[in-house]
Amino acid sequence: MKVRAYITGASAISPQPTFDRDAVEHVVAYTTHPLNVILPDIAKFVDPVRARRMTRHTRMGLMAAMNSLQRAGVEQPGAIIVATGDGCKDSVAKFLDNMIDHDEAVANPTAFIGSTHNSLAGQIAMALNSKAYNYTYLQRGASFPTALLDGLLKVREEGERNVVVGAADVITPDFFRTHRRSWLWKKRDQVDNLEVLQSTDPGALAGEGSAFFVLDSVPSSKTVELLGVDSFFCVQAEDMVGRAERLLAAGGKQPEDVDLLMIGLNGDPAEDRAYDPIRKRFPNATVACYKPLCGEFYTANALGLWFAWSAVVSGALPKEMVLNGRGAGGFATALICDHFQMKDHSLMLLGAS
Amino acid sequence: MTERVHISGIGIISALGNNVEANLDALLNERTGIASITRLQTRHHELYPAAEVKLDHNDLAKLVAPKSIRGWSRTALLGLQAVHEALAQAGIDPAHPRTGLISASTSGGMDRSESIYKQLLNDTLDAEQEQYVGTHDPGEHTERIAAELGINGFITTISTACSSSANAIMLGSRSIRSGKLDVAIVGGSDALSRFTVNGFHSLMILDRELCKPFDEHRQGLNLGEAAAYLVLESESHLKARKGKSLACVSGHANTNDAFHITASSPNGDGAYLAMQQALQSAGLMPGDIRYINVHGTGTHNNDLSEGRALQRLFGSAPPPFSSTKTFTGHTLGAAGAVEAVFAVLAIQHGVSFANLRFQDPMTEAPLIPVRHTLRDQRIDHILSNSFGFGGNNTSLVLSAS
Repeated sequence: MKVRAYITGASAISPQPTFDRDAVEHVVAYTTHPLNVILPDIAKFVDPVRARRMTRHTRMGLMAAMNSLQRAGVEQPGAIIVATGDGCKDSVAKFLDNMIDHDEAVANPTAFIGSTHNSLAGQIAMALNSKAYNYTYLQRGASFPTALLDGLLKVREEGERNVVVGAADVITPDFFRTHRRSWLWKKRDQVDNLEVLQSTDPGALAGEGSAFFVLDSVPSSKTVELLGVDSFFCVQAEDMVGRAERLLAAGGKQPEDVDLLMIGLNGDPAEDRAYDPIRKRFPNATVACYKPLCGEFYTANALGLWFAWSAVVSGALPKEMVLNGRGAGGFATALICDHFQMKDHSLMLLGAS
Repeated sequence: MTERVHISGIGIISALGNNVEANLDALLNERTGIASITRLQTRHHELYPAAEVKLDHNDLAKLVAPKSIRGWSRTALLGLQAVHEALAQAGIDPAHPRTGLISASTSGGMDRSESIYKQLLNDTLDAEQEQYVGTHDPGEHTERIAAELGINGFITTISTACSSSANAIMLGSRSIRSGKLDVAIVGGSDALSRFTVNGFHSLMILDRELCKPFDEHRQGLNLGEAAAYLVLESESHLKARKGKSLACVSGHANTNDAFHITASSPNGDGAYLAMQQALQSAGLMPGDIRYINVHGTGTHNNDLSEGRALQRLFGSAPPPFSSTKTFTGHTLGAAGAVEAVFAVLAIQHGVSFANLRFQDPMTEAPLIPVRHTLRDQRIDHILSNSFGFGGNNTSLVLSAS
């Protein structure tokens, strides 16, 4: 019999009150971007002395990972899998500043160690004293979907249990400023996040966040099944329809079963048009967005999965997320469709179990 | 029934040479690639030797000849060069939906991004510098190579410090075993940069002389730069197209030391577990291993920890082992794939490579590596170790087909 993979615990840190709960009751509106996360108190999770040396990226990811495990009731994960678009950019910047300003005469070992992209995954292992499998993925918009695919391999094909998989990316003021041109983030600072999809100027709303999930082959109460995930590089938006149909078929679902379609609209009119073909294919589904709540960043699709999970688990969806007027009322099959700059495309499929 | 995973192509560019043949020749003739730094512009060029690819950016770009030269970092160019060689040997068109590209890097296009960093911050980039904006993150080189080759299925990048490309090989193998992919192009690339030289300088683990792993008087590691890739292929795919197998990936494991973010545990717990579980996944006993390509960086900490793990698993007389970092330097994110390519060569040619410059065994774990090339060996199974910061430990088992 085929082994199935269930999400038995999840936790998200985002610009919304997502931490430590299953659903967002009150959506926070912002008037400027980038959106920054609401960061919980780390003292509940690690020794504050150790936490002092951790970067914001590590703190955020560590708390989301630890909390997802606590919520799943798991002490020792069978594997730790982390995704990040570009890891600890604050440490990298600190090291480079130091190195260039002092013409290589002064070196900062703490910043160098912090700049190692797998330091979050390593810190999770140390916090849990876990000798388990420990991977870190960095593939821009595909970082989280490929990490999640690894988690599915572990649970469904390799008999692993309690795999914790998630993503974290931070935004720094320098990164926001210097990457506006190459990323096409909106040039203006004043952006109403909940109105951003109506804007006509190019560029996305910028943000940050982290979400972690515990995958297991044994369902618990309030369990959602992860039916599939796939990612594609540089494909046409039209081709995503056929790919979605194949993912549904592999997960034992029909297109008509999809009652929630979560799409990664980010406020850039050209990029958002790339979701038109997939929206047409699922005319009866509730269509919802998540990036107006958390902003665009490499691993925003991890929060997309969290919001979809939240909708299936709680049966509710904040009205600010719903695009086509169809209300909440329980969701059985959720398809998450995301792309980053029309290059990294991904699909994730959830089912109520 | 899971698929056997074959290796049908290998490619490499390192300080030993620009292709597999040149690397093999240097290895067999015990010619190191580590020397004084001549290419990288760094204040430390007289202090530390390193293993550089002796081609500047323009010469490298001419050799690799991507379709458009704009925006290629050194890491991406090195990577494409090795991927081209591996694909040519395998005789495979990579533009197929069930072909994946799994690459690895620790610092991506840092060689370029560090040189434009201040100008980017101050908004004073000139046209020449502008092309390198966005080459910073490790995923960039993978996107670039995938776009060059028309790969639009599964692509990803693993960045787990110095075990990165061993982990890319492991993920490729698992993806094929599970039926997710037919073909996986796996490996890694890391160019030397001021960032890495100064980073390792700050940790005070660089040797001012040529490194001598497993020696009592070792003083640290030498850095290197390289790219290496392997074409992994399922047995059914290889048979259907009548391709040729060079060797097999028969086992692997990744574990964590959970001890310290940069140091290995004194007893090598993570290393021991990685080797033991890799053997288990290959269905082998320690006695089946004929050669071990150790991680062997030359730092006090790594070699003692790894040495103790070897003693725990293999007893006081392990099979012939050596650190080929004595030739290539420590190539960081590329090291696991570089050493996997060397393992394939060891199997093909029946050789164990030398651990150059070894003289005195460590008093705390007296082990004697291969001192000179051993020829005419029958090598069925090789263990290859790659360990990294974050407590990350990976062991691969490569076997004769």
